Amino acid sequence: MMQTVARVLCALVVLGVSVAAAARPTIEELKSRKVLDDYEANVVYGYNIVTDTSRYAARYVGNRLQCSNCHLQAGTKPHAIPLDVEGLYPKWRSKNGVRNGLGLRIRECFLYSMNGIMPPEEAPEVQAVSAYIHYLSEGQVIGRLPPGARVPMVPETGEDPNPARGETVYHRICAACHGPDGHGTAAAPPLWGPESYNAGAGMNDVRKAAGFIWANMPVGNENSLSPQEALDVAAFLHLQIRPADPRDGRLRKLMERLVHRVSELFGATQ
Amino acid sequence: MTSLRRYLAGLSHEMTPDLSWVKTANVRSELVSGQVGALLVIPQAITFAYLAGVPPVYGLYCAVFVGFLASFLGNSAMVGGPNTAVSIMLSMSVMPYAGRGSPLYVEYVLALSLMVGLIQLVIWLLRGGEVFRYFSPAAITGIKTGVGVLLITSSLEGALGLGSVRTQFFYEKFYVVISGWGDLVNPCAAVISGVTVATGLVLKPFLRRTYVVFAVLAGCVIGAGIYLYAGPVASNLELLGHVTFHAFPFMIPNLTAQHLQFVEEVFPNAVAIAVLGLAQSLVIARDLEARTGPVNLHKEVFAQGASNALAPFCSTFAGSGSFNRTSIALEMGALTPLSGIVAAVAVVVIAWGLGPLLTYVPMPAIAGILAIVGIGMIQRREIVPLLRNRVDGTVFVLTLAAVSFLGLEAGLLVAVLSSVAFFVAGVSKVQLLISEEDGAEHIHVKGNLFYASFDRLARHLRRSPAAHTVLDLSHVPFCDSAASDMIESVQKLRARHGGRLDVRPSSSPREAPTNAGSTEGRT
Ligand code: HEC
Ligand code: HEC
Repeated sequence: MMQTVARVLCALVVLGVSVAAAARPTIEELKSRKVLDDYEANVVYGYNIVTDTSRYAARYVGNRLQCSNCHLQAGTKPHAIPLDVEGLYPKWRSKNGVRNGLGLRIRECFLYSMNGIMPPEEAPEVQAVSAYIHYLSEGQVIGRLPPGARVPMVPETGEDPNPARGETVYHRICAACHGPDGHGTAAAPPLWGPESYNAGAGMNDVRKAAGFIWANMPVGNENSLSPQEALDVAAFLHLQIRPADPRDGRLRKLMERLVHRVSELFGATQ
Repeated sequence: MTSLRRYLAGLSHEMTPDLSWVKTANVRSELVSGQVGALLVIPQAITFAYLAGVPPVYGLYCAVFVGFLASFLGNSAMVGGPNTAVSIMLSMSVMPYAGRGSPLYVEYVLALSLMVGLIQLVIWLLRGGEVFRYFSPAAITGIKTGVGVLLITSSLEGALGLGSVRTQFFYEKFYVVISGWGDLVNPCAAVISGVTVATGLVLKPFLRRTYVVFAVLAGCVIGAGIYLYAGPVASNLELLGHVTFHAFPFMIPNLTAQHLQFVEEVFPNAVAIAVLGLAQSLVIARDLEARTGPVNLHKEVFAQGASNALAPFCSTFAGSGSFNRTSIALEMGALTPLSGIVAAVAVVVIAWGLGPLLTYVPMPAIAGILAIVGIGMIQRREIVPLLRNRVDGTVFVLTLAAVSFLGLEAGLLVAVLSSVAFFVAGVSKVQLLISEEDGAEHIHVKGNLFYASFDRLARHLRRSPAAHTVLDLSHVPFCDSAASDMIESVQKLRARHGGRLDVRPSSSPREAPTNAGSTEGRT
């Protein structure tokens, strides 16, 4: 008896979940609706933040990038760090200010990729992006990496990444859109310089950047680079000047350097 | 007809800005207090915009436009603009209908603000400001002290970097903080807010006018040091963020059928917000009356209503008079609306000139100012004399408890009820001095005679229908028709039983019963 009840309940839950997944409205549908509930309005707001960050989350942004410059197609393109990853993190709603994995991850992208200010966990911007990620992740299995998540691993080439060769690749292919000085053009966002991501960003990791570039660049002709070219150009990007890693306290670094100098001086005189 | 004309003349007088202060204002002290007010309002505006759930820059617009209009149209040194309770109630009303912070939500907040302003204008037309004449000073002090307590507890989250801790009553927050000290409190935030509060309290006796400025500066310097030393990740400090300010954000608010339907549904909330905003502003105005001279309450009601109704056209939300900013302004010598006007203009200048610097102002320093202001609102020298008086003490304690335990809305309600109750009790106290003269009983009445107060006198007069009594009403300022009827009926009763009741008329001729009826009866 109990078992049947349980089974029926399970079936109902599964049915409910699949109906919910099938009935997921598109963002355009949501936008054209007259009345949105709290969650749906947050989803739309989150979508706006991801696609037009400098306008909708201006308070916390420090450069000229949008989230969707890296999370392509508003976070839906596979192999371009898609945002349908809620299942990998604790639940959407954070209670009583307990640090919640997904919220922290979003705040980190503000701090590093957007070279901005870390918003607090309860900031409406963070809540909205969480809602949007929840919306994208509907119907996924909790804890399992969705197909196409993050960026692909570039296959081993047996050779180290070579930034000098990367520079020629950059000027041959990428400069047309990203500009010869890498500071971006009207067609593409900056790759380095004061208006790009900072040294602490995930994109500053050579392997991750290489995977992203290999799978997604140049736009319109993806996967045309060889794995080695992707690694080389990623290493070249890694060497460019960009805002410092905010994890380093600047004053502490300065003091450490001073202490180092002073002790060196003492060492030299002794 | 003449009363209608008088009413209309009053309205048009209240609608025209009263600029008589131009000649009398002490421009220097008003300038200083306005500029400090601007420094104070910027972080508050951003916090309150956050409470209301709208982008931070809307708070600045509120400080500039609502603040300017409220001072320009008003006639007191009250500082208007964004307000905690109003912001919280706006967000509570809109939250069920739209995602907090979403564009639709913002449009709803603006539509609701327009509604609040219009309701306040209706209250102005109905002369609703009268009600606040009955507010007793004890209730006003009770509210002020309670707001101080609320400010201190609400600043705890920002000051200690707690994240949002939701508790039912204010003291629970202290308990949570003390019991969870190690896990909850961000030491960097605690140091910054601690330095801010300590600097403020230490400097206050020496720099009565500018101590707030130095307290903020101290907090910012310590904050910058910690931020640069430990870096943003390790220090985990919340910063103010980029403040963008467009000079003229004028626009026509979006009012489609959907917005109107929303406004209709939250109409009761709109009334509540309108009354709450007015109540706060008028309590402040009453408080000011005692310090800076007479204030036309109706004019303040108009100024509040008009500035709130115009707020959505300046892309911002409704506000009201601010307790803490007004007290700071007074402390720095402001006496006229000029300081509020200077503050509004100075906000623009500061936001433009200091925008990039403001980005790195640590929130704990801002929370520290709120705590200092809260501490300053709890004034021993105002409270102690009240506690010596039984009635004032009761009203004070009741309102203070209501504000700190149930919030400002409940506190204002308790303040109204208790002041009205004690007012009525005081007014309806009637003293009867009874003496014998030449075989006749003389009753000397002191106090107002009206339906609620003449009971004892009536019982006394009816007890001996055959006696001869002289009723002396010369110390009765007011006698309503119910009381006159009662006296007449006693006179008839006595005439039937062979007794007599002579009345010496009250000093106020219009409302006093005359002897005419009884003399006629005898002749
Ligand atoms: C400069 C490119 C860049 C920008 C701009 C950017 N991100 Fe990211 N984001 C990354 C990289 C790289 C990762 C890390 C992928 C990994 O760890 O494998 C990442 C990871 C994430 C993740 C976790 C995804 C996962 O698979 O676990 C979230 C959530 C996220 N970003 C949100 C945002 C948001 C929100 C914004 C805009 C405010 C943003 N990102 C802007 C590059 C970027
Ligand atoms: C056809 C023009 C074009 C070319 C060529 C191109 N990109 Fe891009 N790139 C873009 C656009 C457009 C975006 C932003 C994507 C979006 O917003 O949807 C982008 C985004 C990026 C990003 C992430 C955002 C950022 O600013 O950090 C990286 C990294 C990147 N490109 C690297 C490269 C590299 C390396 C090359 C050369 C191999 C290259 N791109 C060639 C157009 C181009």
